[in-house]
Amino acid sequence: MQPHLKRAFTILALIIIAFIFVRSLVVPESFGQYGWYRGDSVKEIRNLTVNYRGSASCGEENCHENIYTVWAKDRHKTVNCETCHGPAQKHVLDAREPLMPANDSRDYCGKCHFKRISRPEAFPQIDPGAHGEDLRCVYCHNPHKPWFD
Amino acid sequence: MDITRRDFTKIGCKIIISAASGTAIVQSMFTKGIAAENPPENGGYDWEKHFWGYVVDTRKCIGCGRCANACKMENKVPFDEEVYRTWIERYRVKKTINETFEEEVVIDSPDGGIEGFVDDIPAEEVKKAFYVPKICNHCDNAPCVQVCPVGATYETKDGVVLVDYEYCIGCRYCIQGCPYGARYFNTEKGTADKCTWCYHRITKGLLPACVQACPTGARKFGDLKDNKSEVKKIMDEERITLLKPDLGTKPKVFYIGLDREVK
Repeated sequence: MQPHLKRAFTILALIIIAFIFVRSLVVPESFGQYGWYRGDSVKEIRNLTVNYRGSASCGEENCHENIYTVWAKDRHKTVNCETCHGPAQKHVLDAREPLMPANDSRDYCGKCHFKRISRPEAFPQIDPGAHGEDLRCVYCHNPHKPWFD
Repeated sequence: MDITRRDFTKIGCKIIISAASGTAIVQSMFTKGIAAENPPENGGYDWEKHFWGYVVDTRKCIGCGRCANACKMENKVPFDEEVYRTWIERYRVKKTINETFEEEVVIDSPDGGIEGFVDDIPAEEVKKAFYVPKICNHCDNAPCVQVCPVGATYETKDGVVLVDYEYCIGCRYCIQGCPYGARYFNTEKGTADKCTWCYHRITKGLLPACVQACPTGARKFGDLKDNKSEVKKIMDEERITLLKPDLGTKPKVFYIGLDREVK
């Protein structure tokens, strides 16, 4: 082989070796494990902390069984406990962790029940000016069992 | 032939050795992509067995904003910035009719709908009005995944499009690429960010925070591989629409009751 070709091939070989070496340092271990991404990031995202625990855990283990049964039978059963009471994961894991007080203001009830033209007509709505004289809704309506028998 | 037996053996050995070592080098670079097909271990969750889908029934949405609020609480999305992983849009079609019967539509989403909506157009002027919850469509053919220059965003085997917060360089190309405006820049992390369908929840058997918070059942989430799931049932029975189907992004958020104004 001619000397100038030999030199060129040696340099090419060195460049390839350097590329492989640098690549092994820079590209993370799990890259390409499942596809064109870092496999470990799937685990990282799965392990993020949960804040909302779901209503089912409120009625468990005789903690809030009474209020849970009342709520679960009534029309507000579609409203999750944590929608008014706030995220409760910490409280479920450790009962001494206090929850945020439930928002029982008139405006909070109004987020769903004040009359709005964009809402489906069949949904129960009140005219805030004509109904309830600016009293807090919970003064008359029990939020866990909101309908009068 | 002017080649000697000695030369033939020499060349033959060289070819065999270089072929063997070359394959070894190439394999060491790419085997990881070919060989490892095992899903990541996590509490018995197998991502091969699920393929998630999302249904939005716009006829049921009351615009209370509990979904957008729960999403921000669950995923620590800054409340003081106008960025949302999910939000509610309000569409109001006005009664004004001109010669060409073009409708005047007012579309807004104050603070993503978190604080609810106030009627600022008199009811007499509005012909029809409705809310449309929006969320990342977790496209099966996602433009945001395509444009990422570093492989920091991807679709998992169970059909969720995620962002690798460690690997993202924050170039914002994916934010530009998303035709649905579902991505935003997270100033705390310095990376792009988006809805994960609460991947940390669904892999533990919980519902996404927005679905759990919805009081009217306008948002539904379920497994398309499970024939008994509610979402699969709706897919089979209802008439559903997609957002911007002409783009070929294959969204996995299915809408019921969309108006022609909604894009």
